[in-house]
Amino acid sequence: MSDNPEHTPRALDGRAPDVLRPGGWVPMRQYDEDDAVDFAIVGTGAGGGTLACKLAEYGFSVVALDAGPYWRPLDDFASDEHHQAKLYWTDERIVDGDNPLQLGANNSGKSVGGSTVHFAMVSLRFRPEWFKARSKLGYGVDWPLDWREMWRYYAEVENALKISGPVNYPWGPKRPRYPYRAHEVNAAGLVLAEGAEALGIAWSPTPLATVSAPRGRSPPCVYRGMCVIGCSTNAKQSVLITWLPRALKAGAEIRDLAMVGRVEHDKSGRVTGVRYHRRGRWRFQRAKNVVVAGYSIETPRLLLNSASSRYPDGLANSSGLVGKNLMVQANQAVWGIMEREIRAYKGPPSLAITEHWNYTDTGKDFFGGYAYMSQGPLPLVWSGVESSERGLWGQPLIDEMERYNHQVGLKIVGELMPQERNRVTLADERDQYGLPISRVTYSYCDNDKRLIAHSLAFMRQALEAAGATEIWDETDDTCHLNGTARMGDDPKTSVVNADCRSWDIPNLWICDGSVFPTVGGVNPSLTIQAIACRTADRIKALAARNEL
Amino acid sequence: MTRADPTLDLIANAALAGAAVLLVARPRLIARVARSPLLPTTRDVAVAAARLIAPPAPPPLHWRVAKVRELARLVGKYSPARLRSTRDIVKKAARRLNGSTALLAFLVLADSAVEHYRGSFANRAMYTPLAIAALTLAGSVFGLADARPNRHAVRDGIYAVAAVTGLAGLCFHAYNILKRPGGLSWLNLFYAAPIGAPFALTLAGLLGRGAERVRDVLPRRRPTILGMPAGRTLAAVSAVGLAGTVGEAGLLHFRGAFQDPAMVLPVTVPPVAAALLGAAALRPTLKTNRLARRWLKLTALLGMGGVGFHIFGVARNMGGWRNWSQNVLNGPPLPAPPSFTGLALAGLAALSLIEDETDA
Ligand SMILES: Cc1cc2nc3c(=O)[nH]c(=O)nc-3n(C[C@H](O)[C@H](O)[C@H](O)COP(=O)(O)OP(=O)(O)OC[C@H]3O[C@@H](n4cnc5c(N)ncnc54)[C@H](O)[C@@H]3O)c2cc1C
Repeated sequence: MSDNPEHTPRALDGRAPDVLRPGGWVPMRQYDEDDAVDFAIVGTGAGGGTLACKLAEYGFSVVALDAGPYWRPLDDFASDEHHQAKLYWTDERIVDGDNPLQLGANNSGKSVGGSTVHFAMVSLRFRPEWFKARSKLGYGVDWPLDWREMWRYYAEVENALKISGPVNYPWGPKRPRYPYRAHEVNAAGLVLAEGAEALGIAWSPTPLATVSAPRGRSPPCVYRGMCVIGCSTNAKQSVLITWLPRALKAGAEIRDLAMVGRVEHDKSGRVTGVRYHRRGRWRFQRAKNVVVAGYSIETPRLLLNSASSRYPDGLANSSGLVGKNLMVQANQAVWGIMEREIRAYKGPPSLAITEHWNYTDTGKDFFGGYAYMSQGPLPLVWSGVESSERGLWGQPLIDEMERYNHQVGLKIVGELMPQERNRVTLADERDQYGLPISRVTYSYCDNDKRLIAHSLAFMRQALEAAGATEIWDETDDTCHLNGTARMGDDPKTSVVNADCRSWDIPNLWICDGSVFPTVGGVNPSLTIQAIACRTADRIKALAARNEL
Repeated sequence: MTRADPTLDLIANAALAGAAVLLVARPRLIARVARSPLLPTTRDVAVAAARLIAPPAPPPLHWRVAKVRELARLVGKYSPARLRSTRDIVKKAARRLNGSTALLAFLVLADSAVEHYRGSFANRAMYTPLAIAALTLAGSVFGLADARPNRHAVRDGIYAVAAVTGLAGLCFHAYNILKRPGGLSWLNLFYAAPIGAPFALTLAGLLGRGAERVRDVLPRRRPTILGMPAGRTLAAVSAVGLAGTVGEAGLLHFRGAFQDPAMVLPVTVPPVAAALLGAAALRPTLKTNRLARRWLKLTALLGMGGVGFHIFGVARNMGGWRNWSQNVLNGPPLPAPPSFTGLALAGLAALSLIEDETDA
């Protein structure tokens, strides 16, 4: 097929796909490879896509490259879990450590728009104290950011994505009203609500990046529940359909199926552009600044792969911290059976949430916090959980799947600690582009294990209180990636400063989930986008002062 | 509130089933109950309220002057030309009231059919508003076609049942909201049974009864309701109805995040009309009446225009009108906006009665 976006780039010849119309196109400005653009951005996900938009709107020339395809959701997305695996980053990677991570579907995307194309849309703000975790709560490290400033950028992102959220959010300092109203809570969410009310803790409809009323060409969500395999109606406000169309309109160029293998630098040590693979050969895009935004595995991999005689340990790595302090989030669950029909797959998977244990510091034997949410696993994923976690196979698995419509679960997003031993390094094996692949090493620490145990026990009580029976624990799951290029105030203990600018090379920036010093107990994408908006404002300010 | 209470459910269902059986088995009894103007308590309250809002008595005049004035008034009032014009105005108003009752009943029928179908008629009681609204509609069409001036016991009875059914529906919807986790919360107000919807049936019933009362006057008398001039009572009812409808539109448009600027119209135009109509009910003056008339007409137009907006709103759902069977259920309700039209027309009818009353 000539129009298979997995094989042939679509953003060519002065046009890019119109993601909001079947078969549509929009004009796209293009830059010459030999013209040094103001910014070459590697990755178009929550970090890179947002930054590309903001910088282009501020008048900078921007080329954003992504290794993934440029989808038109209305044309390209099937209601088929298996087929939609095409959205995941499934290139070769090696995992090890005491608790090797399962990489792919649940933590990395490979698409223009990044992981947000198949993310679950949960859009939460950090608890303010987390930005000063060390000084306020006694664990991890402090961020170089102030929560009050972040509060403004959160509002900007919430408005850009028209987040649908509750009229009053029960936790944390006052926040402006969510631009759209919360979605109706499905039966699975109501089970969470009943459990929470029985245990006397607050719950809320989850703030989600999928619209509850029409927005432009996005129809309101129709509750098909296929969100994590890619929304085929465009109700989901992913980076692909929000920031990137804006970026194109503002004059950014987006290059799909463009895998960056190396960031080059000159003799003075400043970066000069990116070497990337597209349409069958290696190319070079000159740039005055390079932003790496490939997420917490590909970002350190690219920096390490760009090692040179001048930077033998990789770029921006004088601290030795590139690749270190990789953090996932705990994603354990309790599952049970309700007598009444639940049909948890209906609607976005996490329609109800409690952040109780993010905002309560007593009654805990661990540092950090967790949120838990209602769940709506699709059938294939669910049969996978049943077989791998409970060892069901053959007739017992078939019998259990008969009860799919009655199963219900609660799952945490839990804060795990930054540890230097959890890291991304380079392996000897090479991938399809001939680049060394990454080795991802991960082990829980004792605090992590205590947090998980606490959450499982608590969620079990909640599920019991809501009337579920046959309750069992899913103990082995993680989600989200963060860290590996942390931000900080000190070049010795961090890779970038608060502006996401690398300490070592002034025209090299990192703007994605990698810069998190700690993860908190909420899903990260809203914070990543807020940081990108802040970074854009900082870059604009620095440029005005001629300090780029 | 955490769980649905099965006992409560049972009681509510039994009560409704009882009412339904009674309706079919003992229509006479129902009619007799219905013939007493609304229910005694409601009536007492209404009379008291009416007395409260009645304008204060004018200062006493010298008895001679008063006599002469009274004589002049009577001569004017009972002059054949005046009588004829009053008769015409009253007849027209009665027909208009019949018309708005028919419109409201039709809207309730359409809306409850769509919404309760969407709710899979999970509870048998959900058929009730369909049946009663259909009866009310039939009664009003009959009323329109009926050239005889007298009120009609069956129509009157149907309207009373409609008014009471609307109130029962209100209780059902309130119960539906309160039984969910979160109880009285924004979420439940948005997505549980719409709290204001059944009220439309009550309004249809009240206006229908108003129409009956208005047409049923001797040629020499002006209609009254609950001891008040009919025009003013009906204006008050329509104003309250408009206000309630504004509340409902406001709630649902807030749920829709006022994503289209036109969504502000129903919370800006009709409130003005309702306020002016209310003012006309309390203290009719030439100026208020004229203003009220203008805003009511605008509101009536807006109600019809709203259908157009809602048709467009349905189109903005996934699959648009090609996927009508889903989107008519999911999109903005098509029968909702003309409630404004129905109430505005009733308000206009009430105004013409008021004008006739005041220049008497
Ligand atoms: C199944 C799932 C559900 C999730 N649910 C939620 C949720 O509900 N709420 C939430 O907040 N977060 C959620 N997340 C997490 C969220 O999607 C990520 O945290 C966020 O997208 C990360 O942003 P990023 O910019 O760092 O990376 P990404 O969004 O992953 O973007 C990175 C992009 O860079 C590209 N790239 C990488 N390396 C290169 C290279 N060398 N050359 C060219 N391109 C490259 C990749 O193709 C990718 O498109 C979910 C994630 C997944 C996978």
